[in-house]
Amino acid sequence: MKKTAQIETGLTDAIVGFAQFARRRGLNAGMEETFSALKTFDLGLFSDMPVFYYSLKSLFCTRREDIPLFDELFKIYWLSEEDNVRRRSEQKISGIQNIPQRHNSLMFWGMKNKEERDAEEYDSRTTTGANTVARLQKTDFSRVSEMDATLLETLAEKLWREMLRRLRRRRKKNARRGQVDLRRTLRASLQQGGEPVYLRFKNKKPRKLRLVLLLDVSGSMDKYSFFLLRFVWALQSHFEQVESFIFSTRLHRITELLKTGGLEKTLRLLSERTEDWSSGTRIGECLKTFNEEHARHILARSACTIVLSDGLDTGEAGVLASEVQKLRRRTKRLAWLNPLKGTAGYAPTARGMSEALPFVDHFHAAHNLESLMELEELLASI
Amino acid sequence: MKFNADQITGIQPIIAGLERLGYILDQELATVVFLLLKLRKPLLVEGNAGIGKTELANMLARLLDTQLIRLQCYEGLDVNSAVYEWNYQKQLLGIRIQEGSNRSEEEKERHIFSEEYLLKRPLLQSISAIDQAPVLLIDEIDRTDEEFEAFLLELLSEFQITIPELGTVKARYIPYVVLTSNRTRELSDALRRRCLYHWVDYPSASKELAIVQKRFPDIEKKLAAQLVSFIQYLRAKKLQKTPGVSETLDWALSLMALGYRTLDVEAVERTLGCVLKSADDIRSVKEEGIASVLAGAS
Repeated sequence: MKKTAQIETGLTDAIVGFAQFARRRGLNAGMEETFSALKTFDLGLFSDMPVFYYSLKSLFCTRREDIPLFDELFKIYWLSEEDNVRRRSEQKISGIQNIPQRHNSLMFWGMKNKEERDAEEYDSRTTTGANTVARLQKTDFSRVSEMDATLLETLAEKLWREMLRRLRRRRKKNARRGQVDLRRTLRASLQQGGEPVYLRFKNKKPRKLRLVLLLDVSGSMDKYSFFLLRFVWALQSHFEQVESFIFSTRLHRITELLKTGGLEKTLRLLSERTEDWSSGTRIGECLKTFNEEHARHILARSACTIVLSDGLDTGEAGVLASEVQKLRRRTKRLAWLNPLKGTAGYAPTARGMSEALPFVDHFHAAHNLESLMELEELLASI
Repeated sequence: MKFNADQITGIQPIIAGLERLGYILDQELATVVFLLLKLRKPLLVEGNAGIGKTELANMLARLLDTQLIRLQCYEGLDVNSAVYEWNYQKQLLGIRIQEGSNRSEEEKERHIFSEEYLLKRPLLQSISAIDQAPVLLIDEIDRTDEEFEAFLLELLSEFQITIPELGTVKARYIPYVVLTSNRTRELSDALRRRCLYHWVDYPSASKELAIVQKRFPDIEKKLAAQLVSFIQYLRAKKLQKTPGVSETLDWALSLMALGYRTLDVEAVERTLGCVLKSADDIRSVKEEGIASVLAGAS
């Protein structure tokens, strides 16, 4: 350990420096944690390298996912051979972040420059009437023109917001009155000299809507995934207990990303992170990953699962069927939204879709706004 | 020798003390426990089911020779069942009994809302200890909802609870708090930030062997080694329910009770239910062939 050679004040400084270093890289190393680290140092615990490492780890990490980053930073900061540790690590880290950006249709839709958008908004505003709104609600997402896209976004956001507000407020009617609320009954009884003449009741707490959303972002879904991602985002931001994933050849969890960044930021980050964005689909494999890695934790709390995919699976035959079956066993309700279902003459004969269908509780279209709004019924029944 | 949390200066006494009680822990966990004792920050332990998270709090209480107060979290857990509740039945009787007396209404009310009628639930218990700091175990915190978590957050920073009818109770001894989570829900950042964090992984083969032998000193060496390597092999496979350490211990106990001295195909077949808790997993292991698994594991 390089720094132990220095005198004590040197180590104090080094610890503070490490905290700053770690904080800038996104770890939870605020004032309080730094202070705790220094206190630990005072306890004389840091003479031993592993103990030193474990202490800082338990202080600066707040979840399992932090651990690899912490290990990396720890290695860079404390175990580096060179004197100029700080500068070297800066370079290293910035090197990681400079990943070339990929652009695709989704990016263009999401991030037009401001002027362009303003012009369009002006354009669309001048032409918006009840007719346009009605037409747009029925327009297939894949046929929306560039010009309508922004308008549709605005409209969609408004409608979804209303729908989700209705859903949150909805309470199931309680035929029976709930349990007697002894606390309030007793309080009230004091007025009658302690005779519980009027009973007070309490209703059951309304259950929270728990959802898991699995969105297909493969090439065949390209046109739809942009709007559907917006939909996912709307659900995510209106309900507390929603977990979102995207998949094509691999599965990625995007819950945190959607929660912390806005939608725009998410889109940008996604295009950087997902190497296989808009490529082939291996639905079976991805569901397998979900079942193996996430289902046990996430579905343990009786959540409902919604898969948004066209069901065009290019993976091995049979995998999808067995994975959907496994998923069905774990989840409370399984819904499959397929944009292709809205197309006239569509029948779920594609191998992927026909494999999955026997295990799906609700099979819905998801090609335009109207079809997504129909989800309200489904969500309310959960 | 009594273990004194204030006097220890390193992690060795913790490792030795807990090992005497039959709980084997590595340097990392010992360091975290040391920090828990010294910094008095709550400790958040995350990890898969059945790897001794709850046991840690149990053993800690025994090591410190103090009371263990356990709050088992579940969905819908509310403040009334976690903090305090009035004893309503007794209150109703209390009112009846006082009917004849000539106390004023206020006096009567004060009487039935006195400590005599208070039922202390785990959280209130944990801060009203009078002789020494207890260990407060908040088990499976991920099962409660966000509202309760927020309430807990306040308690963990102030260590005081206000009861409107009685006043504020402040902890004389700050409890050692251990929270466990199975990750069925992401905990809030605020709560995480307040805690020391420790992720428990499945133990390595040598550690698991040590755990088995510590718990069952009479077990045949060969049997212990075989069953540990079998379990380790199963963990590497992608199963629906990965067996934890508690499964290993259950299995060891069952095998010993049935009188097996080594692990063979028959022994595994008869007792596989101790280890694998899902029909799919049992089927997939049987399809692979227990004999070949045994051969591959050893």
